[in-house]
Parts: sequence; structure tokens; C-alpha cells
Amino acid sequence: MEFLSLITPLFLALVVGGTFVGIIFGAIPGMTATMAVAVCLPLTYSLGLENGLALLLGLYVGGISGGLVPAVLLGIPGTPSSITTTFDGYPMAQRGEGEKALRIGITSSFVGGTISLFALYFFAPTLADFAIEFSYVEKFLIILFALTVMAALSKDMLMGIFSGFLGIFIALIGTYDISDGGNGNLRLVPPGTEYWLDSGFSLLPVLIGLFGLAAILDEAELGVPKGQSREDVKIGSGSTFSFSVFKGQAVNLIRSSGIGTFVGILPGVGGSAASILAYSNAKTFSKTPETFGTGEPAGLMASESGNNGLTGGALVPLLSLGIPGDSTTALLIGAFTLQGIQVGPLFIGNNPETWNAMIFAMLIANVAMFAMMYVAIRYFALVVTIPKHVLFPIILMMCVIGAYTINYGIMFDVWTLLIFGLFGWVAVKLGLEVAPFIIGFILGPSAEIYFVKSLESFGDLTIFFTKSWIAAVLWVLIIGSLIASVYMSKRQRKLETRSS
Amino acid sequence: MPFTRRTLLAAASTAALLIQPIAAAAQELPRNVRMVIGSTSTGGDTYQNSAIVADALAEHLGINIKVDAVGATEAFKALGRDSRGTTLMIFHDQSYLGNLYGVTGYDNPFEEYTVGQTVAINPGNAYLVSCDSPYQSMDDILSAAESGERVRVAIQPGGVSEIGFSAMKNAASVRAPGSEENIVAVNTGSQSDKNQAMWDDLADVINGSIQANEQFTQLPQDDQKCMRFVWITARAETLAQAPAEGMGDTTRDELLQYASPETSVTLDGEEDFTFDKEFFFLYNPEMDPAIIEQIDTALTEIYEAGEIQERQKASFFIPNFLPAEDARQHLMDKRDTYSEVIEQISGDS
Repeated sequence: MEFLSLITPLFLALVVGGTFVGIIFGAIPGMTATMAVAVCLPLTYSLGLENGLALLLGLYVGGISGGLVPAVLLGIPGTPSSITTTFDGYPMAQRGEGEKALRIGITSSFVGGTISLFALYFFAPTLADFAIEFSYVEKFLIILFALTVMAALSKDMLMGIFSGFLGIFIALIGTYDISDGGNGNLRLVPPGTEYWLDSGFSLLPVLIGLFGLAAILDEAELGVPKGQSREDVKIGSGSTFSFSVFKGQAVNLIRSSGIGTFVGILPGVGGSAASILAYSNAKTFSKTPETFGTGEPAGLMASESGNNGLTGGALVPLLSLGIPGDSTTALLIGAFTLQGIQVGPLFIGNNPETWNAMIFAMLIANVAMFAMMYVAIRYFALVVTIPKHVLFPIILMMCVIGAYTINYGIMFDVWTLLIFGLFGWVAVKLGLEVAPFIIGFILGPSAEIYFVKSLESFGDLTIFFTKSWIAAVLWVLIIGSLIASVYMSKRQRKLETRSS
Repeated sequence: MPFTRRTLLAAASTAALLIQPIAAAAQELPRNVRMVIGSTSTGGDTYQNSAIVADALAEHLGINIKVDAVGATEAFKALGRDSRGTTLMIFHDQSYLGNLYGVTGYDNPFEEYTVGQTVAINPGNAYLVSCDSPYQSMDDILSAAESGERVRVAIQPGGVSEIGFSAMKNAASVRAPGSEENIVAVNTGSQSDKNQAMWDDLADVINGSIQANEQFTQLPQDDQKCMRFVWITARAETLAQAPAEGMGDTTRDELLQYASPETSVTLDGEEDFTFDKEFFFLYNPEMDPAIIEQIDTALTEIYEAGEIQERQKASFFIPNFLPAEDARQHLMDKRDTYSEVIEQISGDS
């Protein structure tokens, strides 16, 4: 209990303050938890290790959680891991259940964060040992499993899968980076555009372009509608939220939190895969999969518990192997190196006070996030009552600022935002599907790297089937997911035929 | 006095003459400076070292300096766009090794940019094997290659990680011509990928660093993750300047066992190959040289004060300040040496 001496009023204030600032960053379209941590990283110099970590962990938990606010209220994912939150959260907000959706999201985030924290505290070294059983082959199969969700999310399966592959194709534009083990050569780059496209299109500008700008253009096409009234968003006593909505969802919450934690412990798989896999599984195991995507609370629970489950999971390889689990924890490692402390397999054993202080900070951050967001929901929800001709220019400005700052001031990222905003607006008219497209775009580069590296390392395609028992289990899941998608698609079609 | 056109012209000329010395006066670093680095990681040695230097420089000059981890390609682009001194860059030997290895996006820094002051060395570049590896030393590895055994080395191609691999091949070639063919590269990405390549038995030797891998060398022998150092590329004189307690549970003296001359990887049969990873400034070639002089002066005063050396050493860096002119010559000489090693290997293979 020596770590308690580190828990000073300043420590607590930094956790709570960090969580608050993180929520703000996450809630603004275009700003992310990673940005919040990057901005505050130099402060850790003067704060010292434990206090610096308190601030950064608060920012991390707050930033991941805050992403649900624009995802629910505006249909714009605040962070890449909130994409699946838009699928059911936004339809709920559109039918006047914004506050209810936010409360479900926050509670699910809290559950996901707490379960993953529990896993981190009790099983970190064991989970890290399990994580290193995953070579390129198993990582590729996990990505492939996540990609099967493209089929499940498609309204028209053929167009959905085509859109997904288009997303993968566009994601591969640029350099096959040597830092990913590539050859450093450019591919798929049109002549004359090498200067701008050598690093390809950045994820966040593409994301906010497709979900933010395209939606604004859609609305602009409809004219200038009025904002929703307070009654519409059911603020205050009219709210229909009750914890009973979680009845029968324990398995969904635990499974989704577990998936988030599990994806988090695998370095390089990427945070977005956590919520995508959690959502996909919730839909597959649901008795009413056809309600997913139309404002189904179970989908929202899966997405939010999945992406917050990531927070503890991503710290497992960081603190047990010195390897960051996602982009934000890659920044967190900077707090250690700036203090001259190496993280690796001996970190937890050699630094029990720091380790306990970190766990305590994460716990406080989760509680603070829940309390702050729960209280502030009614104010967040007011955003939909703002007239759209006032709200949209503000959102657009925030999207542009977010796109410009994500890679420390690259103007091409703003152009990317505009290009993909226009693309998203036109794509829907052409029958393309945005959700599978963005999932393909996010997962495509990892799929390529792990596929190529598997072949380089093991020689031939049979390795994907023979590498290990983990690969066999993953194949069962992949095939099961595909069968479920086809079955759901047929069932949906039957229901539509019957109702018409 | 009536204001005629002639009077106005005279006044304008006088004003121009008075302003001229001010305009011609040397430019200085602006109030807000962006320091881009050639790495995208804030957990790596480039960010850590740059943050220490930026902090000291900002305090000394009373300006703001923000370190941005944008990566090599974007950093070079940002530097190329700005000749006002608002953007400076810190990177290491990768900037010219990338060019020597022909990596896309790496121009010759000595021609396209102005190479400036060196500030520190990271003596940590190392090669490791698994604890259950039959190879106990570099001599075992080179002997294995000589006897026809294939030795797989996990590296990130095209830079600091590859130069040691090139040196291994070169040493094998000097020892037994043709045996270098048995030392093969396993191209990986990050340190995590290199570690994983070892745990998956895809690599026999991995490139790593004292900082990132030392804790793995302290694990029990039967732990799958356990590793052993076999070679540290730094010069013994450089490593000898590290704190006596070394890194983690490995003392400086223990680390010296893996560096030349205790561990020999020959360059030409007489001298050993060594490599110190040095960090230095890069500037836009059109930037006012007065700004470089200003940084020269400031860094000279900062290093004379001595505080920065303590901070660098505490983070396992070896302070290595050289003014811009000296640093440029030193780095060009160093580039020429490694260019020969790379050419030698390219010619052999």
C-alpha cells in the first residue's frame, strides 16, 4: 500500500482534470484521445512520472469515452473506434432518444473500462504471454475476421462487399513503409501526385469527411431545417432511460468488453477492430439481428463496451513487454522515456508503486468519466436543438481544424477531408455503402502487412490453415461469421418481402 | 518648410538608408519554433533527445520550441518549405544511411539541406539472440555462417538497423569470402516486430537496443521471451562515458563486453566496425546562416553550463556537442566510411 503515498490531491486533480479535458477532445469531431495525450505529453516533464501518468491516463479514458457524444448526437464518430457507435446511437438520437442513447453508451463505456482494468491488474503478464502466441498469421486472421463484418453491415451484400474492397484499395495508396517492414516503394499513386500521396490518405480526415462533411452536404441538399426541440431529445423528466435496458445484456457487455480487452493486448491490430468485432458479434448472437443499425441499444452497448475495453487491454503489452497496444499508448510510452524509465517485462515487478498508482488512476478516471458524462448529458444533448445552419458551420470548422492538426499541420489532410466528404455524398447516391467502405479503409493496411509478412516468413498459403490451434479457431469464427451474415441477409430479405 | 516631391524623395532615401542596417542585421530564431523529428514515435530516442535539447534551447533563448514527431518524410518536407528558421529538424544517422541504402524519400542531406550541430549519441544500438540460441557470441554467428549455416537477422531495412547487418556480412566476407551469403536479412518493422520474429523462430538474431531490450535479458533462462546481447555497435570510448550503473540491471562494464574490442566484428581484418548513433540538427539550405551561428553560440553556452549533459546521461545518451562546421565535416567523414561498407557488401552480393 506504499503507492497510497503517491495519491496526493494533485494526483487526483490531474486524473479528474485529464478525464474532463479528454472528454472534451473526444466529443469534438476531429479531435481524438491521441491528440489530447500528444498535446499534454510535454507537461509530464515538470509533473514527474506518477502525476504525469495520472494526467495522461485521465486524458486517455476521457478521450476514448468522449467519442460517443458526436457519434450519437451527430452521426460523426469522434474517434475511429466510435464508428460502430454511430450505427445505432445516431438513429436513436434521430428518433428523439439522444439522451437515452448517451446514457446507455456511458454506462457501457464504464463497464468496458472497468472489466478491462480488472483484466489488466490481475492478468497482465499472463495476457502478454498469450499475446506473443499471435504471429503475423494469427493477426492477419483476426483482421480477416473483423473484415467479415463488412458483409454483416451491408444493406446490399454485393455492393457492401464491393464498397469494402474499394476502401481497402484506397487505403493501400502510398508508400509501403519500411517502418512496417515494407520495401519503401510507392504504389497506386497517380503520376504527379507523389508529393501529397506518398503517405497515402490519413484515416481521421477520411473518417470525418465521410461521416461529417458528407452528412452536412446531405442536409444542405434538403435546405435549412429547424433544430429539434428540447421535447424531441427528451431532456429531463421525459427521459425514457432506465437501467432496465441492460436486462438480458450481461453476456453482450461482458463479451464485448472481453473482445475489446483482447484486441487491445495484440499490438498492431488497432483499436478500431475492437468495437467492430464487438458489434459484429453482438449482431451475430442477437435474436433480432435485423434491428441492428436502426437504433438497437444492444449494438450501442457492444460498441461502447468494446472500445473502452481497449483501454486496459492496450496497456497490457505496454507494461508487460514495453510494446504499445495502440496509437494512444504509443504516446503514453513517451511519458516513461521522458522520465528516463524503461518499460519492459520487469516494469511491473520493479515498479510496484507506479504500477498500482496507474491502476488507481485508471479506476478514478473511469469513475470520473461516468460521473461527469452522466451529469453533463442533458447539456451535451442540447447540441441537437441548435439550428443546423448555426451548428453545421461550427462542426465543419472543427472538422477542418481536426484534420489539419492530426498530423501536426499537413494541409493535404484538409484536402483529404474535403475529397472524402464529396466522395461520401456522391457514393450514397451511387449505391455504395459507407460503413463497409470505412471498415475496409481502416483494416486494409494491417491486413496487407500481415498477409505479406506471413507469406514472406512462412512461404506459402497453407500456413494460414496449419500454423496453430489459434488459427483453426479463428477460421471457425470467420466461417461462422460469413454464414451468419448470409443467413441474416436472407432473413432480412424475407421480412421485407412479407412486410411489403 | 514646403513638402515638395524632392523633399519627400530625400526623406524616403534617408529613411531607407537608416532602415538598411536593421534590415541587413542578422536574422534570429523567431519567438515560436517548430522542431520536427524524423520519427513518428514519442517513445523513442529521437523524441526523447530532441525534447531535452529543445527544452534547454528554449529556456536559454527565451523562446518556445515545440517538438513534433512527424516522421522522416514529412519532416524533410516541412524543413524544405520553411527557410525562415521557424522549422528546425533533429534526426540521426538514418538521414544519410537512408540515402545510401536508396530508400524512397531520402535525399542526400549534405546536398539538399544544411547539416548542423551534433548534440548526443545513443550508444544503445545492439544485436541480440534468444536465451536458448546456440550462438553465444558474434564469433559463433560468423563461424556458423562460415560452416554453411543460415543465420537470419531481423532488421528494419534501409538505415541504422541495417548498417550493423551490413557490417556482419562484411565481417563474414573478410573472414571467409562467400560466407556472407549465409547471413540473411528478415525485414521487419518496429522493435515489437523484431522481438516477435525471434519468439516465432523466424529470426536467429535481432536488431534492438540496450534501452528497449535490456529487461528481456534479465528474464529467467526458460522464459520464451528471454534474450542475450551478442553485440553492441557503439565504440568502447563512447560506451565508457555512460553512467557506471549502466542500464537496468546490466552495468556499464557488462555492456562493454559486447562492444569492440571485447566483441569484434571486423571492418577490414585489422580494425573493428563500430557505429555510434548520433543526433544532429538539419536546416533549410536557404535559412540565414546567422541563425545557425545563434544556435551554435547558444548550444556552446548550454553545454558549458553542464546541466544538459546530466539530463542526457540520465537518459542513457552520451553528450556529443560539436559546432555546425565541425559536425558537418565529422558526419561527412562518417558517411564516407559507411558508404564503403555498404558498397563492399553490394559488390559482394
